[in-house]
Amino acid sequence: MKHLPKHLQPRWRYLAVAVETWPDADIGRRAFQRELWYAGQNLLGDPGSADADLRLLRYDVAEGTGGAIVRVRRGEVEAARAALACVDEVNGHPIGLRLTGVSGSVDAASESYLGDPAGSSTQEEVTFEGADHPAHRRDGAVDVETPTGWLGATVHDCE
Amino acid sequence: MSDDGGEGGDRNVDGSEEFGPFEAVYAHPVGQSTAARQVKTAAEFGFEGVVVRTREAEYDPGELAGRHNIDVVRGVEIDAQDPERASGAIGNHRSECVVLLVHGGTDALNRFAVEQDRVDVLTKPFDGEGDVNHVLVKEAVAHDVRIEFDLGPVLRDDGGTRVRRLRKLRKLRELIDYYDAPYVVSATPASHLRLRAPRELAAVGEQIGLGADGVREGLAEWGRLAARNRERLSESFISPGVKRGREEE
Repeated sequence: MKHLPKHLQPRWRYLAVAVETWPDADIGRRAFQRELWYAGQNLLGDPGSADADLRLLRYDVAEGTGGAIVRVRRGEVEAARAALACVDEVNGHPIGLRLTGVSGSVDAASESYLGDPAGSSTQEEVTFEGADHPAHRRDGAVDVETPTGWLGATVHDCE
Repeated sequence: MSDDGGEGGDRNVDGSEEFGPFEAVYAHPVGQSTAARQVKTAAEFGFEGVVVRTREAEYDPGELAGRHNIDVVRGVEIDAQDPERASGAIGNHRSECVVLLVHGGTDALNRFAVEQDRVDVLTKPFDGEGDVNHVLVKEAVAHDVRIEFDLGPVLRDDGGTRVRRLRKLRKLRELIDYYDAPYVVSATPASHLRLRAPRELAAVGEQIGLGADGVREGLAEWGRLAARNRERLSESFISPGVKRGREEE
């Protein structure tokens, strides 16, 4: 179909979203997009989620950290923000999300608000509460792999 | 901050917006993140303060506050099975903390918590079969107990469970509005991955009818509460409006 004349094309806003998970969580782009749409549909309803659009344009998450660019219709940013806040788990992996910025173009959103895409994390052994555990360390934050599951800590918690 | 989204906000006309958003978090060993990690993440998310609910958590509020430039408040959330045990726990822990919370969830516990002057906040009143009504809210006003508006289930549940929670939250909101009762808002995060930024919580509040201003007000209330209690804990405080002056010595 012939595309719309410029003045009738929808205007978009691009949301930069910072993503955090446990280091071993394997969350693909499709799974994330599916959860995002679910969250939109559940919170905003079908009409609301159709209005918001919530299309995932860029997605780069590895080793527990990363970012995404989500496209929404102009004027629906706050509704999209609410839907994003309700994305809690993807494939059973808990996920932390925060909207770091809103922009009028994809490039501006990723350049201004997403920073270093794949945070450089290092693996090491740390001593936490008197025992040694494998851990992933990134930017002052340490994710410790304890026998009972992952634990979020900081460098100051580890001896 | 500019919010272009439509807000039905005529709530904070009294201009008491001196406190920014606070969040009240769980920490290791109850949660999956240490108090330090929760505070670090909350600071990055733009909160002005954190109340740590977990009594067993090991942290130094002053040190964390200095490191992340954010207020850190020692809280204790009492999670007892029945009012008798809760009453004992309140006596034991009231003096250890700045903010004392009681985890509700049954009608008996909810009723008990709002009738205690020593309790600051009734948390998660809808966990389990618990509910609130006009009697409880009036008691909460009389005893200055804040009722927690728990956004956790809105953020993390879906389907029927979420609908039932939303229904109860709506009822609570109507009661709070009618009696002008004190309340706090929290996402009740047990790990740093469950934390959500203040603007996100405000956006959710807007969707569920609490209003963005209603959420901001409830997040700031934690800070107001902590400041009030710290003043009461200070040596010179005798009772509201009465302070020990210099003349006495």
